[in-house]
Amino acid sequence: MSAAVEEISANQYDERVLGAETPVVLDFFSTECPPCEALAPKYEAVAEQFAGKVRFLKIFRQGNRELATRLGVSGSPTLLFFKSGREVGARMTGEDIKRSALKSAVEALLP
Amino acid sequence: MSERYDVAIIGAGPAGLTAGIYAARARLRTIVLDESVPGGQVKTTHKVSNYPGFPEDVHGSELSAAFARQAERFGARIRRSVEITAHDLSAFVKTLELDESETVEARAVIVATGAKPRPLGVPGEDTFKGRGISYCATCDGAYFEGKDIHVIGGGNSAVEEALFLTQFARSVTIVHQFEQFQAEPASVGEALTNPKIRVLFGHEPRAFHGETALEALEVEALRTRERKRLQTDGVFVFVGMVPRTDLLARYVELAPGGYVETTDAMETRIPGVYAAGDIRVKRFRQITTAVADGTIAALAAQKYLR
Ligand SMILES: Cc1cc2nc3c(=O)[nH]c(=O)nc-3n(C[C@H](O)[C@H](O)[C@H](O)COP(=O)(O)OP(=O)(O)OC[C@H]3O[C@@H](n4cnc5c(N)ncnc54)[C@H](O)[C@@H]3O)c2cc1C
Repeated sequence: MSAAVEEISANQYDERVLGAETPVVLDFFSTECPPCEALAPKYEAVAEQFAGKVRFLKIFRQGNRELATRLGVSGSPTLLFFKSGREVGARMTGEDIKRSALKSAVEALLP
Repeated sequence: MSERYDVAIIGAGPAGLTAGIYAARARLRTIVLDESVPGGQVKTTHKVSNYPGFPEDVHGSELSAAFARQAERFGARIRRSVEITAHDLSAFVKTLELDESETVEARAVIVATGAKPRPLGVPGEDTFKGRGISYCATCDGAYFEGKDIHVIGGGNSAVEEALFLTQFARSVTIVHQFEQFQAEPASVGEALTNPKIRVLFGHEPRAFHGETALEALEVEALRTRERKRLQTDGVFVFVGMVPRTDLLARYVELAPGGYVETTDAMETRIPGVYAAGDIRVKRFRQITTAVADGTIAALAAQKYLR
């Protein structure tokens, strides 16, 4: 696992996501989910590119069901984008999350 | 940096991986590129019952992994999660740029980019994608443990995936536009006798509603034109596929529906460029027909390269 992407659990959500000083990308993933496997290397590559500017986190859906339900997340992978404690932009979900599209979405988080 | 191959195969579904097996066994330097992990549509199909050689059902993910291992065993290189960011297929030596950073060169290219789920195209679909609407039962089924969900469609995929979803959901209502299913009788029989499955024939979805997540599916009865809102925890859409021909569209004229026309040797109009699998104009799109296309494309490419 690359150091650029850190795994959190629901009890860290308030502090690590909502309370973060930098923009945050949060990836809800599951096991036995080929689209999640496909996203992982792209997510890490983009995370490395933006290291220090944007935080890339991931959260295991099966272990954090309540948070997923509360956020209305019903599929894996789902990427949520946060800035100053608020969700911004469109979520990205499902099989065809392109690396270039993710990069553009992350760039949009920066000033 | 640029790497040279004899054959570059775009798409690691059944067609592309089979082409990879044949090309690699022919001792061609072979690379298979996929923006996802290998397997194509098969990797997320929960079980396959009609692929010969498996008298018991085989999980789609296992079959996919086996295809990939077999291609790799003979020396095909498989690159996962790569995006083709630029390409030139019309030249004698074809070039593909990967993730804006590497270049692959090959004299023959086999395009096997398959198909992806067809969206319904009704209001609310984009909003609730990933918030209650899904196109992949194996990926997202577990989110609907104990829930009441709907499946849209009435072909093989819809009926098979509805059966799979009964493992998780409390009830699965299949909404289908016609008065009967278009699926194989074997799975239709299973669905109609499954206590968790209900069926709403003669109805079409018209809209999705909800606050932050999906709450209701609006359907129209086709005979009476009457509309009603059905409470739902989730909707799985299986209403067919659309070919992924964006890459080829620049080089060839696409047939109606976006499919690619080929000769029976899988040749497109561009010398050295082949198309195989679900992206082709053909009558039946199955794993068996995709692997047949992949075989033919690789053998034809081998001849072309000689
Ligand atoms: C739910 C479901 C159940 C099914 N069940 C069965 C069954 O039981 N039996 C059966 O015979 N058939 C079944 N099918 C049909 C079967 O899966 C397809 O006919 C078959 O997978 C087609 O193979 P393919 O290689 O042509 O394309 P695909 O399987 O679609 O593979 C195409 C690959 O290309 C990749 N790709 C696409 N565009 C690009 C790009 N630009 N760059 C890089 N890579 C790209 C994709 O990521 C994908 O991996 C089912 C289909 C579905 C959806």
